[in-house]
Amino acid sequence: MDEENDDVTTTHAAIGVNIAPPALEVAHEDAEVTTTQTAPAAAIEVRGLTAHYGTKLAVSDVSLDAGQRSITAIIGPSGSGKSTVLRAMNRMLEVIPGARLEGSVRFHGMDVYDPSIEPAAVRRTIGMVFQQPNPFPTMSIYDNVAAPARFNGMVRGRVETDQLVERSLRLAALWGEVKDVLGKSGASLSGGQQQRLCIARALAVNPEVILMDEPCSALDPIATLQIEELARQLSKEYTIVIVTHNMQQAARVSDETIFMSMSPERGGYVVETGPTTRIFTNPSNKLTEDYITGRFG
Amino acid sequence: MSDSQLLRGTALRRRSFDRFISVLCLVAGVIALLPLAAVIAFLLIEGLKAWSPAFLVERPGSVVGPGGGAVHAIIGTFLMTGLALVIATPAALAVAVYVVEYRESRLAVVVRSAVDLLAGVPSIVVGIIVYALVVLTMKHFSGFAGSLALAIIMLPIIARTSEEMLKIVPRRLREGTMALGMARWRALGFVFIPTVASGILTGILLAVSRAIGETAPLLFTSLGSNFVQTDFSQPMSALPVYIFQNAINIGFPAAKERAWAGALTLVTIVLVLNLLGRWLASRAAVRGAN
Repeated sequence: MDEENDDVTTTHAAIGVNIAPPALEVAHEDAEVTTTQTAPAAAIEVRGLTAHYGTKLAVSDVSLDAGQRSITAIIGPSGSGKSTVLRAMNRMLEVIPGARLEGSVRFHGMDVYDPSIEPAAVRRTIGMVFQQPNPFPTMSIYDNVAAPARFNGMVRGRVETDQLVERSLRLAALWGEVKDVLGKSGASLSGGQQQRLCIARALAVNPEVILMDEPCSALDPIATLQIEELARQLSKEYTIVIVTHNMQQAARVSDETIFMSMSPERGGYVVETGPTTRIFTNPSNKLTEDYITGRFG
Repeated sequence: MSDSQLLRGTALRRRSFDRFISVLCLVAGVIALLPLAAVIAFLLIEGLKAWSPAFLVERPGSVVGPGGGAVHAIIGTFLMTGLALVIATPAALAVAVYVVEYRESRLAVVVRSAVDLLAGVPSIVVGIIVYALVVLTMKHFSGFAGSLALAIIMLPIIARTSEEMLKIVPRRLREGTMALGMARWRALGFVFIPTVASGILTGILLAVSRAIGETAPLLFTSLGSNFVQTDFSQPMSALPVYIFQNAINIGFPAAKERAWAGALTLVTIVLVLNLLGRWLASRAAVRGAN
């Protein structure tokens, strides 16, 4: 943990904020005792996740890992529970009315559902980008990035904020396009730019993980490629989990692929996980093969 | 009868029926416009008799004689409506936020129904309640009591429109703030309320337009005054009260004319406020546009 923490602090030295809130560390010490086996490179481990929306079973017994500083893609047909699993990782599932879940989600061994942990702290550490770009419409481009970070006490003062905004926009590969129009409304940008603005906004609160829920489904092919390229760049410093409908996208960007499917009795479930190259060239499950060759889904 | 004749017959019947319905709609439209046109026409014809720029700036003269302005009533109207706005808006916004953000709580349902009930309370009853609670306690009529009565009338209007507006904040914006770990009050103050500001502004405007014309609740609270009064602890005049007091003096033609002039002034103020509000709302809407 200490080693990881150091890593993170170095990575984010420019911002100079330690990533793990105290509450998370306390929980971690408890967790170490109970965790039996931890894959060395996993940042997020989901174990035995079962989720319902009201009485409807969404996913059952999902277990998967998301490797540190790599891209994990979750693919599968509509209704296989990809977004449900993603949302469970940063506690954004419980904000959906009627949603409830069992099982565990661990972030570096810490139980993110531990009662001592603030959901807000989890969500800052494990950021999220949505299907529809959602910049705050009344805020300028600058404030879209600066406001959430300022609210969370990440930065103080003009100079520090300016630096954070520039750094975040550069990381999101948007700086060059917006540096002269920082005062314009975030809503004035194109869809792809808005999505990159949302990524910059998420980066500004200093996360370690970024969850992307079909981030390109509302974008044109060129904007899609830009986001994919950006995801590749970011995966050098951040852990990325991306849910996508688009198999080519998963094949292009991800290191690991998780294939999910569903059945009436089980809801969504994990069919197969593995390195992306293997999943796409030599799937071990017939369902996976059928899906990636376009025979269903 | 040949086929072509049959077709022509149908076409004619349909055309004339269409014309008939069109005329009917037009007549209905005119009927709806008539009262408004009549009000404006009467106001202009009768109001302009006594109205002059001096009416806006002069103090009132003798009740029975001609002349005399309504500056005291105009100032009173602005002061009392302004204070009512300052009291009602934060309270109404807080109610709307509570009802929308904590809608799963049972108390929120109670609060919401209470706001609806409050909206249905006749304004004269509001006046009597404020009279009993404030005027009797303070032992005299006051501009403050008048403002309070107007604020109570404004509150449910602002609360209901703000509630409807906050409900339409898109889910993706709500989730966006949550995913950034933003506190709810910050999300409300910096994202949700600014996003629907134009709608909330419209509600505030509606409430002002309603309150500015209220007479009954002021009669028991601010009473009216013949002096230019800026002290909220003293009785204050307002345009509706001024109109009422002049209009009941039916024996004096000059008083009747002053009532018309007051009415014209009041309607003009409401109109200007409406235009101003619309302009502000459209600016807010442009800022918040997607």
